[in-house]
Amino acid sequence: MWPVVLITLILGILSGFVMHRADFCMTGAFRDLFLFRHVKMLQALLLLVTATALASYLGRRYGFITDSPYPLFGAAAPTNVIGGILFGIGMVLCGSCVVGTLYRLGAGSKLAAVALFGLICGSALYAEIHPWWKSLVVTKPWRADIITLPQALHLPEEIFLVLLTAATCTIVYRRKAPASTARTFLPAGHMTPYQAALLLALIGIVSVMATGMPLGITTAYAKVAAQVEYLLWPAHVEATAFFQALPLDYVAPLGKVHLSGGAGPAFDGIAAIQYPLLIGITGGAAFSALLLNEWRLTPWPPRRQLLGAFIGGIIMALGSRITPGCNIWHLWGGLPIFALQSLLFLVGLLPGAWLGGLLLTRFVLTATVPMKGVAHEHSNL
Amino acid sequence: MNTPTCEFDLRGQVCPSTLLTALREINLRQSELKERRIVLIFLTDNRHATVTVPQAVINMGLHCEVVKTDNTYQITVEGNND
Repeated sequence: MWPVVLITLILGILSGFVMHRADFCMTGAFRDLFLFRHVKMLQALLLLVTATALASYLGRRYGFITDSPYPLFGAAAPTNVIGGILFGIGMVLCGSCVVGTLYRLGAGSKLAAVALFGLICGSALYAEIHPWWKSLVVTKPWRADIITLPQALHLPEEIFLVLLTAATCTIVYRRKAPASTARTFLPAGHMTPYQAALLLALIGIVSVMATGMPLGITTAYAKVAAQVEYLLWPAHVEATAFFQALPLDYVAPLGKVHLSGGAGPAFDGIAAIQYPLLIGITGGAAFSALLLNEWRLTPWPPRRQLLGAFIGGIIMALGSRITPGCNIWHLWGGLPIFALQSLLFLVGLLPGAWLGGLLLTRFVLTATVPMKGVAHEHSNL
Repeated sequence: MNTPTCEFDLRGQVCPSTLLTALREINLRQSELKERRIVLIFLTDNRHATVTVPQAVINMGLHCEVVKTDNTYQITVEGNND
């Protein structure tokens, strides 16, 4: 198990470092499309998906990737869309997704710490409603035997790959020239979103080759919730169905080790894969911030923003459990193999991000939010 | 010549608070900025805002300068010299 732990820790550190340098915010990619009509981060995300799709295809074709579709990707259901909507709302209220929260926490953000607390509380809440939720008809898959779009349409994957690559080349290389030629500022140690996209695609594909799965961390949040609850109410955790399930059961390519596990409090396969990633992303971002002399505990933001981040964290956790999976799982892992679950998650994520932006500007970032404005004399000579 | 300055400390705030606040304040004080009767300063720790705010400001025909002081970015917005 230790080689898997080590490789995910290294991949986590690299991801955190790259994301901090580029401020590679997937929440911003969707939110800014609706709030400011900014598309650059979305273009970078598209490049990440396409680069991963090409690498994944070649990896499967030449035997570097053995499990296809990846473990834990199941049949599509209406819950994928519902979860995507909730996830979109939650991530915009938090100002970052499940991964963005970690790299911002690593750089010293107190707001991200509150969002993380919301994510853990939301995961604990889902564990309580899990039996009721699973009894609803929306959780039932349409066709249990179909996992990807090529399977559903009985078409070769190559067709989708060519279409995706052509669309990405058109969108990325025919982007509008900047309106102004004036030189603008770049922060210290800046990495462009495109550079970050290609590096993160490489990190994601190494994860698939080593662990057999794309990057994912949200079950770890549920596991943290289970471990805290277990300290306080062990009997309740043992009686909670969600914490007793073991959905992960496979052999990881690296070391051919058998990994099984779930959201329960045990240090199992999920803990081996996701905890090092969680720690690595936070540590990698902290390392990057320290190198740039930018690490520090941020001041507390207005209470309205703290409340928004906490509620957003709860909503995002519910979304990730209902879907199931988070944005990196689906956008970096599922979309590149055209998984139907991931496509439906994206269908939900877009209106969710739009709705989240509406809530953020109407209720969280209102003009009444106190700004620390001071007036003094400024010399411009 | 001394110009009154209005400073906004947006460190630690939710993204995209810096860009939204900057756009709101610039729109509210556009004539004062163009006549160089006020200078706006935004303190932020949001690295992305140090790219998006200057782009928006320059597109509005104003002058923008970003300086890193310790672990904070200071974005200064004022009217153009020309």
